[in-house]
Amino acid sequence: MFRGARRRTALTVLLSLTASLLAACGSGSDAGGDLTAEPVTLRFTWWGADDRHKRTQQVIEMFQKKHPNITIKGEFKEWNGYWDSLATTMAANDAPDIMQMDELYIASYAERGALLDLNEAKKHLDTTNFDQKALATGAIDGKQYGLPVGLGMYSIMANTDLLAKYNIPLPDDTKWSWDDLEAIGEQVAKAGGGQVFGVQSPGINDTAGLSIRARQQGKALFDKDGKVVLPPEIATQYWTYIADLAKAGIAPPPSVTVEKASAGLNQSATATNTAVFGFWWNTQLTALTVASGAKLKLLRLPGESQGKPGAYYKPSMFWSVSSRSKHPAEAAAFVSFLANDEEAAKILLTERGVPANLKIREAIAGQLKETDKAAKEYLDTVPVSDPPRITPNGASTLDAIQKRHTEDVLFGRATPEAAAASFIKEVQSEVDAAK
Amino acid sequence: MSALDELRQLRRGGVQVRKRDNRAAFWFLAPWFAGLIFITIGPVLASFGLGFTKYNLIQPPKFIGFDNFARILSDERLHNALGVTFTYVLVSVPLQLACALGVALLLDRGLRGLAFYRSAFYLPSLLGSSVAIAVLWTQVFGTDGLVNRVLSFFGVEGKGWISDPDTALSTLIVLNVWTFGSPMIIFLAGLRQIPAMYYEAAAIDGASKWSQFWRITLPLLSPIVFFNLVLQIIHAFQSFTQAFVVSNGTGGPSDSTMFYTLYLYQQGFSRFDMGYASALAWFLLLIIAAFTAINFWAAKYWVFYDD
Repeated sequence: MFRGARRRTALTVLLSLTASLLAACGSGSDAGGDLTAEPVTLRFTWWGADDRHKRTQQVIEMFQKKHPNITIKGEFKEWNGYWDSLATTMAANDAPDIMQMDELYIASYAERGALLDLNEAKKHLDTTNFDQKALATGAIDGKQYGLPVGLGMYSIMANTDLLAKYNIPLPDDTKWSWDDLEAIGEQVAKAGGGQVFGVQSPGINDTAGLSIRARQQGKALFDKDGKVVLPPEIATQYWTYIADLAKAGIAPPPSVTVEKASAGLNQSATATNTAVFGFWWNTQLTALTVASGAKLKLLRLPGESQGKPGAYYKPSMFWSVSSRSKHPAEAAAFVSFLANDEEAAKILLTERGVPANLKIREAIAGQLKETDKAAKEYLDTVPVSDPPRITPNGASTLDAIQKRHTEDVLFGRATPEAAAASFIKEVQSEVDAAK
Repeated sequence: MSALDELRQLRRGGVQVRKRDNRAAFWFLAPWFAGLIFITIGPVLASFGLGFTKYNLIQPPKFIGFDNFARILSDERLHNALGVTFTYVLVSVPLQLACALGVALLLDRGLRGLAFYRSAFYLPSLLGSSVAIAVLWTQVFGTDGLVNRVLSFFGVEGKGWISDPDTALSTLIVLNVWTFGSPMIIFLAGLRQIPAMYYEAAAIDGASKWSQFWRITLPLLSPIVFFNLVLQIIHAFQSFTQAFVVSNGTGGPSDSTMFYTLYLYQQGFSRFDMGYASALAWFLLLIIAAFTAINFWAAKYWVFYDD
């Protein structure tokens, strides 16, 4: 009898193995099926800092209470390690079911077939309350590879405490030009006496500054087909400006800039009160205010009133589901919960950006802190134009390429002209190589 | 039964015993064989095949012939990475061996507490390629780091050594030199092998310590020097962790710490070009093989075997 029980167990194991194998084979097709009542474990991965991990973990627990048969295993990392490990787990066919995805990478993953078209799981994923323009930023050729989580805008953060200390009036950001920023930066640098600088060097963390420069002059980094169409003159102008800031002592010395950039947000010039103006995404206001302990004010970028407005809404990140997930329906249900549940939203607030779900944006409005309110107000009031084309497949190293060229310019290893030419050539060859 | 038959029987029995032993040995070795085949040889062969393909980690590989190898010739960033790697190997290995030999000579003179010093000098070797030490290094050589504190004590104004492309590689060379422990232990063992009578005879003939070192110690130690040289060059070519941690995985600033292995890694995991990364891995194998061959060829002229 004992032996019989054992044989039966063996049979059950064999059957369930076969079943799960079969399920794996048909994974794409049951995205629109019913949610299972069987116990299911989903893996969910994101990048971020401590605060995000705590909030996300709380929301996971809320979801598990509503769906006792679904277990969500959270895996979180720093930005750099995140992409390395996502690439390796994808290659090993061991990708997490639900991923936090970035604008730089979404096309690279989607066009290699790694992401599920969320339209297939429409039954479980409610997108009715989303801003249509925002929703479109996660779609490629009509397929919804990512659900935008929040929106952000590139901005300048000004340390008003330091400005008051030096008796320098806050500039009028509805009118100021790039030259105005340089001039007021110089005033600050003089008053700061080598301890406090005018401007935290741009061109290190993000390519948005370059993109906006081009947009202000009616140009762009990429055209619709993903070809690099950035005019070399604009790139030259961009790197000349960066080099001038460093040479004039308006920005910190290059080696300090590089060191602070690799040390993360909390060590940045803005967070350590060593530069008055810094380029950041508006939603980072809360984190930087906490880190610096100073009063920070969001300003529009210079040059917005001289030419066309270059500002745009950038989806801060997306929720994506792996195309190889064995439980796409359940994964979609979890994404839907993250995006639509008001209780969950009250925990997540604007930590991942101002919600792209308009109903949720209003639902949490009353709960926001001063700084979150300021970030939301910036998004609601600053004029924008249509968003740029999504970063094409192959160009996910765009920020890294840009940073290296900025370093070449800062350390005098390349002239702005040479950097501009080499940048355009390299980005184009990356896009071509991925075809 | 004749004696001959008996012998035959015995032998056959012996063979059987040996056979059984062999089988047992095989089973004991099996886990290791499995590891060798599935974790080492399999991937190595696979990477050779992938070197001739375009493979983005998700879609199936596409055969493209020698394109990846042709790209090696025209890839300017790779040529820069080769320059960085050669500088690192050719500067840090001789310095490291010189330090190892110097300290080994000091310790060989029979210090009190030798075991303690030996362990103390060996310790960095155990830690050297670890992530923790690389993180420590960024602190030591940072703008507000230990090095600059000491310099400011002498009135010298420091800078961010790691964040400046002119000095970033030097800090990694210092890190490698600092981990001289394992060649030092091997030198120490080699020094013990040199018979004391040579030195006694030389001393009686009035040879100075200096000429004793050049004429006795170094020639008799040359096989050990050779062994360490070959090993450390191969080791240095494969360095990865230090550059990866110190530069946050970027090889920066301005590609100044872009080791060959780091570039290879970026091609595979940031650019999703595993075909090119595989080709690069095989090219590195060729480079290391060439260096080792040159080493063995040159050894004929300077390595002295005392038997």
